Amino acid sequence: MMRVGLLVTCLVDMMRPRIGFAALKLLESTGCEVVVPQTQTCCGQPAFNSGDRAAARSLAVKLLGEFEACDYVVAPSGSCAGMVRGHYVELAGDDAALAQRMAALAAKTFELTDFLVNVAKLQQVPGEFQGSITYHDSCAGLRELGIKQQPRQLLAQMPGVSLNEMPGAEECCGFGGTFSVKFGEIAAVIAAKKCDNIHSAKSDAVVGGDLGCLLNIEGKLRRMGDKTTRVLHIAEVLAGKS
Amino acid sequence: MHFKARAGQKLADVILQDNLKKAKSKFVDRRATAILDLDDFEATRDSATALRDRVLNDLDLWLEKFEQQAAKSGASVLWARDGAEICWLVIDIAHRHGVKKAIKSKSMLSEEAGLNQALETAGIQPVETDLGEYILQISDNEPPSHIIAPVFHKSKEEVSALFARTHHLPAKDDIQALTREAREVLRPHFLSAEMGISGGNFLIAETGSVALVTNEGNGRMVTTLPKVHVVITGIEKVIPTLEDLATLMRLLPRSATGQSISNYFSLLTGAKQAAESDGPEHLYFILVDNGRADLVGGEFAEMLRCIRCGACMNHCPVYQAVGGHAYGWVYPGPMGAVLTPLFTGMQNALDLPQAATLCNQCGVVCPVKIPLPQLLLKLRAKQVEAHLRPFGERLGLRAWAWLALHPALYALATRIGVRYLLWLARDGKRNDRIRVLGVAPEWTLGRDFPAPEGKTFRELYAARKETA
Repeated sequence: MMRVGLLVTCLVDMMRPRIGFAALKLLESTGCEVVVPQTQTCCGQPAFNSGDRAAARSLAVKLLGEFEACDYVVAPSGSCAGMVRGHYVELAGDDAALAQRMAALAAKTFELTDFLVNVAKLQQVPGEFQGSITYHDSCAGLRELGIKQQPRQLLAQMPGVSLNEMPGAEECCGFGGTFSVKFGEIAAVIAAKKCDNIHSAKSDAVVGGDLGCLLNIEGKLRRMGDKTTRVLHIAEVLAGKS
Repeated sequence: MHFKARAGQKLADVILQDNLKKAKSKFVDRRATAILDLDDFEATRDSATALRDRVLNDLDLWLEKFEQQAAKSGASVLWARDGAEICWLVIDIAHRHGVKKAIKSKSMLSEEAGLNQALETAGIQPVETDLGEYILQISDNEPPSHIIAPVFHKSKEEVSALFARTHHLPAKDDIQALTREAREVLRPHFLSAEMGISGGNFLIAETGSVALVTNEGNGRMVTTLPKVHVVITGIEKVIPTLEDLATLMRLLPRSATGQSISNYFSLLTGAKQAAESDGPEHLYFILVDNGRADLVGGEFAEMLRCIRCGACMNHCPVYQAVGGHAYGWVYPGPMGAVLTPLFTGMQNALDLPQAATLCNQCGVVCPVKIPLPQLLLKLRAKQVEAHLRPFGERLGLRAWAWLALHPALYALATRIGVRYLLWLARDGKRNDRIRVLGVAPEWTLGRDFPAPEGKTFRELYAARKETA
């Protein structure tokens, strides 16, 4: 049996545990054995994006130790999966043995919907959802990992879901990790444009694959006075009963 | 003033915000349509990237080749280490030929050098003839806010008032009439100037030529009417052959303005020969380093591929929000956020590499595949290495990273943290959002911060394991 390590991600751990459980349910529904290493914390991306490569490297080495034994590593985040796949090898620096291990880890690390569609080949989406959805393509998932059709393919399997594409679905929501707190005013302006696009799609829910973007979008929607548009992670929709 | 403070002002600038909205459809949509003309846009990008890298790997040899060929065609090739040397060389040439007035077509290098001011100080009148640059010149020498649409930040009404004030003519309200007025004002300058100054989009080594891409026709007059023509361009602009030029020209106008070809495309070789009826009697090339040579072969070398199309800024969510002036120097947007710290010193542009969401909308449209987000990340790492980040940020990051390396303490800290956040979100009713977040005040300036569920995944998962 395939042994899959669930990389919960630090943001899901703190802000939305239900996304973690949804991911767990989805992975289990494919018949995999899912392990959730209890010592996992963060992939190191905030440190890497802030330029602190030493700190990022320590966290990368820690994650490597926790997940190396798994056949696959799956994260409900294009951004965290992209960090492991796109940057861990470069963090190994001159250490060739470490670089090799990092490359092996990178090769078996997947974003959740990518894994469900292209590796586990999920046949039956376990959850139910009634309503219209507009999908926000998060930058890292889309442009680092090519996540575009995977979530749409899975949503298309759900009879209760109707998908309304918004204009500019591939445009950045303004989150950008530390950018969202260092340049809050600009981030909020970019988020407002994203929210206008979401509104023009007239949907019950906006759905995405990265919690950072979703918190940014939800925060802007609520500040704009929109209390009704639901903001959901793709895992919640695919696994949920709502 | 730093990027952030300027950006704040720009967010409040109604005219700029309106123009930014319009420009998006103009640049972004037109480019998207224009690249469909090419059978294989991606393959063309790959060839262009490869050819730029090939030149940059042997830049000295290609520059020597260019110098030899240009000299054969009767041009003089001069070298400038920095902006001050550009000014000194241009003024020297002007004095040698008795120049009192110099007409200019667009040149970003002259912006790097602050050439107009230097010419004025030396008693030579510079006249910008690109419509946008002319507007900026008469508007108290304002800097451009976009590399190909320099006057991007102004409205028609502002230009109308400026023209009426400067030209002492009745105010006009349509763009055609304003353009006609500018042409009429500029014509005598074209005819009386002794020197023309232009930039150069590419230098072709095998022929010693300069290629110029323009849309207004002023470039033709600047480079052919006066008896002296001075081309000022960066050393990285050289390419080996005319064949290479054809590859790059498939990409440049399409990426820049969504045109399959610009209105005017000039390929200029040498000074006027005995049998020729027009062209300058004297042609000078000033090839400029100004920080470029230091990038050759280094970790930022990819930036030298840049062909100055502006697609990165047109597609940048931050540029689209704040415009070009917020970036503070000659080059805005993602390419500016990389070039400004490299050319002017990291400590002079600390905000710029940070002021990006790393969304890579720039990288995927760059015609020469410059990995702009990766370069910004490298600059961020350099800032940390050089201890240029604020103490509080460094301490916070270190403390967080230390905690994340100690899972037991991390688990405890996050348990407490999420409960604190949930407490902040209490309002008696929905309890679903935080309106003012003390630990990240910038977030809640324009957005709420959604409340956490209240327990961590780790806690809930452990509890579930126990009951199972």
